[in-house]
Amino acid sequence: MNFATSLMLIGAELGLCLVALVLLLLSAWLPRAAARVLTIAAASALAGASIYTLALLLNGTAGPDANAFGALLRLDAFSAVAKLLIYLSTFACLVVTPSFFERRGQYRGEYPVLLLFNAVGMSLLVSATDLMTLYIGLELSSLSSYILASFARSDMRSAEAGLKYFILGGLASGILLYGMSLVYGFAGSTNFDAIRTALAGELGTGALFGIVLVFAGLAFKISAVPFHMWTPDVYDGAPTPVTTFFAGAPKIAAVAILTRLSFSAFGEQFAAWQQIVAFVALASIVVGALGAIGQENLKRVLAYSSINNVGFLLIGLATGTAAGVSAMLIYLAIYAVMTLGSFVALLMLHDADGVPMETFGSIAGLAQRKPALAWALLVLMFSLAGIPPLFGFYAKLVVFQAAVDAGLIALATVGIAASVIGAFYYIKFVKVMFFDARPSSDARAEVARNPAGHWSVLAASTVLLSPLGFLLTPAMERWAAAAASALFLTA
Amino acid sequence: MQPITIIVFLPLLAALAAGIVNKAAPPVFAKAVTTGALLVACALSWPIFLGFLTGEASPALVPVAPWVQSGTLVFDWALRVDTLTAVMLVVITSVSALVHIYSWGYMAEDPDQPRFFAYLSLFTFAMLMLVTADNLVQMFFGWEGVGLASYLLIGFWYRKPSANAAAIKAFVVNRVGDLGFMLGIFGTFLVFGTTSIGQILDAAPAMSGATITFLGMRLQTMDVLCILLFIGAMGKSAQLGLHTWLPDAMEGPTPVSALIHAATMVTAGVFMVCRLSPMFETAPVALALVTFIGAATCLFAATVGTTQWDIKRVIAYSTCSQLGYMFFAAGVGAYGAAMFHLFTHAFFKALLFLGAGSVIHAMHHEQDMRYYGALRRDIPVTFWAMLIGTLAITGVGIYGIGGFAGFHSKDAILEVAFARGSEMGRFAFWVGAFAAFLTSFYSWRLMFLTFFGRPRWADSPHIAHAAHDDAHHGGADNPPSQEDAQPKGPHAVPSPNYEAGTGGYHPHESPASMLLPLGVLMVGAVAAGFVFSGAFLDREEFWGGSIFYNAPLMHAMHEVPLLVKLAATIAMLAGLALAWQAYLRDTRLPGQAAEQLGPIYRFVYRKWYFDEIYNAVFVRPAFWLGRLFWRRGDVGLVDRFGPDGAAWVVRRGSRAVRHLQNGQLANYAFVMLLGVVAAVSWVLVR
Amino acid sequence: MVDLSQYLPILIFLVIALGLSTLFVFLPMATARLTGVYNPTAEKLSEYECGFPAFEDARSQFDVKFYLVAISFIIFDLEAAFLFPWAVSLGVTGWVGWTGMMIFLGILAIGLAYEWKIGALDWD
Repeated sequence: MNFATSLMLIGAELGLCLVALVLLLLSAWLPRAAARVLTIAAASALAGASIYTLALLLNGTAGPDANAFGALLRLDAFSAVAKLLIYLSTFACLVVTPSFFERRGQYRGEYPVLLLFNAVGMSLLVSATDLMTLYIGLELSSLSSYILASFARSDMRSAEAGLKYFILGGLASGILLYGMSLVYGFAGSTNFDAIRTALAGELGTGALFGIVLVFAGLAFKISAVPFHMWTPDVYDGAPTPVTTFFAGAPKIAAVAILTRLSFSAFGEQFAAWQQIVAFVALASIVVGALGAIGQENLKRVLAYSSINNVGFLLIGLATGTAAGVSAMLIYLAIYAVMTLGSFVALLMLHDADGVPMETFGSIAGLAQRKPALAWALLVLMFSLAGIPPLFGFYAKLVVFQAAVDAGLIALATVGIAASVIGAFYYIKFVKVMFFDARPSSDARAEVARNPAGHWSVLAASTVLLSPLGFLLTPAMERWAAAAASALFLTA
Repeated sequence: MQPITIIVFLPLLAALAAGIVNKAAPPVFAKAVTTGALLVACALSWPIFLGFLTGEASPALVPVAPWVQSGTLVFDWALRVDTLTAVMLVVITSVSALVHIYSWGYMAEDPDQPRFFAYLSLFTFAMLMLVTADNLVQMFFGWEGVGLASYLLIGFWYRKPSANAAAIKAFVVNRVGDLGFMLGIFGTFLVFGTTSIGQILDAAPAMSGATITFLGMRLQTMDVLCILLFIGAMGKSAQLGLHTWLPDAMEGPTPVSALIHAATMVTAGVFMVCRLSPMFETAPVALALVTFIGAATCLFAATVGTTQWDIKRVIAYSTCSQLGYMFFAAGVGAYGAAMFHLFTHAFFKALLFLGAGSVIHAMHHEQDMRYYGALRRDIPVTFWAMLIGTLAITGVGIYGIGGFAGFHSKDAILEVAFARGSEMGRFAFWVGAFAAFLTSFYSWRLMFLTFFGRPRWADSPHIAHAAHDDAHHGGADNPPSQEDAQPKGPHAVPSPNYEAGTGGYHPHESPASMLLPLGVLMVGAVAAGFVFSGAFLDREEFWGGSIFYNAPLMHAMHEVPLLVKLAATIAMLAGLALAWQAYLRDTRLPGQAAEQLGPIYRFVYRKWYFDEIYNAVFVRPAFWLGRLFWRRGDVGLVDRFGPDGAAWVVRRGSRAVRHLQNGQLANYAFVMLLGVVAAVSWVLVR
Repeated sequence: MVDLSQYLPILIFLVIALGLSTLFVFLPMATARLTGVYNPTAEKLSEYECGFPAFEDARSQFDVKFYLVAISFIIFDLEAAFLFPWAVSLGVTGWVGWTGMMIFLGILAIGLAYEWKIGALDWD
């Protein structure tokens, strides 16, 4: 493995890293008004990284043998697809962010820098094939996330969110590290393939502990039950653009590395973790659905919705088949679009003073005030509920299909039943927007105008989720299958 | 495209157009479209009928579309045109067209006119579908279609609770009959292996004598089938036992009563029996039952008719009674006579209903005859229309010369019942003759109470209301105001010389759109009898095999004793005399009679307590059972453990999850660690 | 059975450490008494740790600037900790090792520059 090839394989991360460092210095020396310029530069860097990764994927450089730095990182189809999803959703978050903070006079050049560092961490994470790189990527991403959560420094809730996230994240990191050390102790290596070979056969108690603890640590990042407790508070407290980001890219990255780790490192021990994953999936679906009921705050509802969706994703993991992983990736992509669209719509709900309207009461009768926004939200919510002919239905369909094919019929049945509970609050959005009376005149605030960037992100996600999205299914299936098979080559 | 296709489907298109456009266009659009469609249908129907009358036309079958092909069950949409159909075509399209025209005036002030006209046309389509049906299923389609339209039109004024109740009653009672009809259709398919009417009728004679197990008993196949089918006919034609919906159906607008509950839909049962007459001829028990039920209804309805005060209810019971005549004519084997009475009855009964509608219109929606009287001077055209209708229904005529429509058809029925010679035939004759007396009595009672004597309007709340409005609007002393700016209606004409009974009210004659149909129907009521009696009764070739024609019986009909031939006329005269005595000469007589005959009077006045008995026997237990299923079964069991239970669990779960999410960092960390411990324990003990 | 003789250097280290710490505690006290500058006041007698009284409610508020300094300190402390093994193995890792550490130091330098510029190092 020569050095130049390694650098070429992590070119996207290198580029992002360099841009981030330069922007960091610029953000300190340039006046605050330049934050928007820095944002554009960061967005361009992300776009460039996407193109670079796509090129590597398409020209065949990205493959199962594309190991960098002595198998610390690997750029196969799986990590390339995951990186693309990460870059694109981070890009979209950058587009919709500035106006939110600018209205409050809180925007600073650090924001795009933090997002870039986060993106670097996540893309290291998804291509990690070694516990060390995994941890470094995870922490790079997490540390910048903690800061992002408390980005609105003067806001008590934002600060509280950051602190909670930091402390619980620290606990989770500790659990993860403890698990890693156990795994390393019993396998004698931190490399995934080496761990896989070492752990084949009967598993000792210590290694089993290690595996469980590693899963627990990663479950925190994807906010699966019972490691979800931080999610509603942090999503609620963090500024909405940050929440938009949290619900998208970091989830993708964590789910991707969890999948890679499960099959690359612990693939031989499928029986040991399948039931735990299945239980966590079910618990996430049920708790996510139950928790959202009765919430008045829309961000909390969407936080529980993301917990709920993680449950559906984990069903794909619990199947333990390539088809399941492929279904999971499809779900992940569609989920990213749905969650991005929903939070962007939420971002757009604010009055002329920039005061967000984030309760059910404030969107009552929205269909009369802002029909376009209301209809877009309708598509998003029906899609999240999995109602055909919207694209969200297809996502659930493939996951349940994979579960049924893998013989997990009970899991699929309970999942479908619980998705009915989830439909309640998605449909509640629609009911409140379209059928409830507008609030009385004193409490009524008009929804202010929004920049074109918001509208274009919202329109793009709405169109993708409309039945037109089904045109993409052949391409999605092909890529998801390619990515999934990359994990199963060693099996 | 065949004319028959246009006749049948044009009303449907018109109904759709009127119903879909509804209030998007001015009401005149819906009115013009539907009325135009019906006029076209009517204009196309008469040539078909005349073709059969002159013998030029021959039966035809016009296929429309394939319908069901399922194993051996195969039938298509097809329109059958023969003499029987042609007769019904002219009746339906003519009366329907006239009723459409009449409704322009009658419904002029209703806000929902497009809906009304759409329903009327929809009804006409369904009725035409019924009479042109080539198979029993298509007939059932039409059967249910008219039932639906009837339901919608009875409940047309849906804000009126009594109208809703009447609509529901009509629908539910008809369901009982429809169950019989459906069982009959199923049984027919079971026995004959087809639903095609032509094939069934061809195969029917061979089936005579076959037996079938029904309800655990070994019975004559044809009797069982025909009785089941007849139960359907009883429901639709309001025969004794299933008649209770018809008087209540008068809650609908009067044009509806004329079209549906007099001329067309209620005769569907008679039509069906005639259509399947070769089948019924093989079922002697069923025919005896038809005769008996027909005669019993004839008598029952006539007795009730003599005591009612609501003008529309009198005519409704009259309809019921006349349908009884038709059924017992069919029951004794004179299907031609039954159809003839159906034909003439359509004209004079529509005339009577539309005339009654005109009276009601003039009397400001007062329907109680006790508040009428002396109206012949104020509404002369209506008076003449009603008079001719009465002359027709009571069967005024001179033997050997001719008379009004009812004279020809009703006499023929009584004669043929006598000529049949059977026990049942004799019974029917005597009952029919007595009913003719009652018919004459209640018809003239209606005429005398309405048009003769002194005005008794003042006590009517409707009239009082109208007169009050008049005083308000027309008062010359009042200063001009916004309200007074409206043009003065005919109500406002002062009538200082009028008698005290008027209550200051001045009835007005109906508009031309209402009088024109009356005029046309008057011609029908006068002429339909003697013009068509030869064809309907005596010419076998006219029917062309479309009904079973018992030639010997129809010949024997003319050979009955003279007294029999005069029986109807005698009964009519007796009824007229009694009515004249009781309601014109000695107006205290009815009250005295009611008092002396107390229990009998009450029995008849309360319609033989049918509604009360049904209420106690069927309605209350059904409600009780329904309530049981609702409270205990549905709410207590299904809902409790189904949706409500699930919702309860979800609510509880949601509360628990929210309770756990209390914002305490230590708590969150604790839950995480618990999760780790649980997972570790699980993998260890597994 | 564990061979305890291997742990002898650690035992010696512990003994020396104990001796040194005892010396550091008692030597200043003895010096003060002997040179005659022993002059205790309330201020002098109060116990403190990192500028705070040792026995007090732990939830009292203090300046967040302490944290900033602590974080910066830890970063460069760790840098020093990395530099030691790097330095001894530089002969093995060669130019690759040297470049890697330079990149690491460069990133830290950028961080320090940023910190300096935004004023995180100013106490007031």
